[in-house]
This record gives sequence, structure tokens and C-alpha cells, in this order.
Amino acid sequence: MANHSQLGFQDASSPIMEELIQFHDHALMVALAICSLVLYLLTLMLTEKLSSSTVDAQEIELVWTILPAMVLITLALPSLRILYMMDEINEPDLTLKAIGHQWYWTYEYTDFKDLTFDSYMIPTADLPLGHFRLLEVDHRVIVPTGSTVRVIVTADDVLHSWAVPSLGVKTDAIPGRLNQTSFFATRPGVYYGQCSEICGANHSFMPIVVESAPLPNFEHWSSSLSS
Amino acid sequence: MAGEGDSEPGKSFKLLGFLDVQNVPCARESVLYGSLGSLVMGLGHFLATSRVRRSCDVAVGGFICTMLGYWFYCRYNLAQQRIRQRMLKEGMKNRVLFEGSYLDPEKEQTGSERGDS
Repeated sequence: MANHSQLGFQDASSPIMEELIQFHDHALMVALAICSLVLYLLTLMLTEKLSSSTVDAQEIELVWTILPAMVLITLALPSLRILYMMDEINEPDLTLKAIGHQWYWTYEYTDFKDLTFDSYMIPTADLPLGHFRLLEVDHRVIVPTGSTVRVIVTADDVLHSWAVPSLGVKTDAIPGRLNQTSFFATRPGVYYGQCSEICGANHSFMPIVVESAPLPNFEHWSSSLSS
Repeated sequence: MAGEGDSEPGKSFKLLGFLDVQNVPCARESVLYGSLGSLVMGLGHFLATSRVRRSCDVAVGGFICTMLGYWFYCRYNLAQQRIRQRMLKEGMKNRVLFEGSYLDPEKEQTGSERGDS
């Protein structure tokens, strides 16, 4: 989860999120170079006398066409690479359905028999000491570590969005539509997210908690629930 | 969890308010080499031509080019290192999984060596 006043990304827990963080750093470095240039040009202009004697500016026009094109290519290539990486066909090991309601999530593990549950936020009054306010839920989504999980996201009433920042996942939940995403949790842990599409009074109070557990633990949990 | 094991928030330094040079790999070196390149090129141009204005332009251009040049070089090496780490991790996992079995690549190699001799 994010710390208070945290501006940067959370630590990555999936390969896609690692790539996104790398790209973000790359984009910021390009932004730093552009800002340095613009700041310098601004300073120059402030110290320059205005002149109306310019009639021909072929060279500068060439520069300020080619340079931005090169900057855009520098940003577009890694961006498209990650975009296509996110859409790779990856043969998921597990399929999970996430259905958004006002104001809770329902999860269905259709690979198993009768493994469906609702996930409500734990109210602050009922929160045990040391747990995270507005983030904890009564039933977490458990997934096996090191397995590709396909998530099919939809909604029952209004628009919602299933988002878990540290896994690099954000998918809109639209009534009457099935949206698909997938993730690969590289390490065991608990990952928090929140509904990311305005959906009414309690939009801020329907969090998502994904717990990545080793496969034996996941099997034990799934067999205990489905029985 | 985010923040654990990282430097304290008070210790991160953000250049122009957004680039965290302490925690982003290659950022610190890029900015430092860029500054060095800027100084060398600007000063060199001034010593050669005695033109202040143009030397400042060369210095800023040198900063941007050196910074971005080192950034691409460093990130390319970092990407290659990450790929090698991933392959090594996969290889170690496979070795532990398949050691002694018919899928053990070392066993296949030993078998083929015996066959050749």
C-alpha cells in the first residue's frame, strides 16, 4: 500500500509493473532534459532585446520540427513495447471474475466448484489495531504466487474499476461488458487497491485486497472454502 | 510494502521537483556526467572562441546530450543485466527442479559425452 504523502509508485509486484516503473523513469529523464532546455531558452528570452528584423528562419524551423519528432519516437517505442507486452497471450493458470456492486466486490473462482464470495470493506469501528483504515476487507482475493491469473471484470449496476497499483492492474468494470486483464504476482504478499471509477456515495469505501500465497497455501484455502 | 528498506522520505532529492536522482537507477550518474560534460564543453568552447553567449548555448546543449547519452547507455546495460538475472533465476529453478531426472540438462550432456567417446 502507499504510505501517507507518497507521490511515487508503490514497489512493483509483477513484471508489468516493473516495466511501467522503468518507462516512467525514462519519461521523467526526457522531461528533465526538455525542462532544462525550456528554462534556459526562457532565461535567454528574458535577457534579449526584441527584434523584428527576422525574415528567414529555415534552420530553426527544421530544428523545432525534427527535435520534437525524435523526442516522441524516444517515448513512443518503449511505450508501445509495454502496451503489446500487456496484451500478450499468456495461458493463465487461474481465472477470477471480479464483479463490482454498489459498494462491494464479488469474486468468483469458476475453475473451482462453488467458490464465490463478497468482499466488503471492514468499517473503521470494527478494524483491529494495526490494520489499515479504509483498505482492509473481510474476504481477500487469494492467488497463487508465480502463476498467471486472468481477471474478468464486470459490474452489476454502475461503472466501477478494479485497480491494484503494485500489480500494475486497472480495469474498468462496465455493466453488460466483460473486460479481461491478467497479472503475475512475483512474490508472496498482500496488495491493496481501491475502486477507481466514481460509483456513488461509497466509492471510496470498496477496496480491493489481493493476497499472493504459495501454491500449497492457495490450494488449502480454496479447498476449505469450496467444501 | 512500499517504502520499507528504501531511504527515508527526507533523504530523497528530486531534481526540478520530480526526478528522484537517489532512487532511480542511472539517474544520478546521468546528471553528474551531464554536468561534467556541460562544464567541459562550455569551458572548452569559451577558451577556444571567447564567445560567452555561444559558449553558454554549447554548455546547455552539452548537458542535455551527455545526460541523455549516458542515460540510454546505462539503461541499456541495466536492461541486459535484468534479462541475464531473469535467465539465471530461471536456470537455477530448473536445475533444482530437474536435478537427477531425465530432464536434467547436465545428465544429457554427460550421456552425449560418453556416446562420443
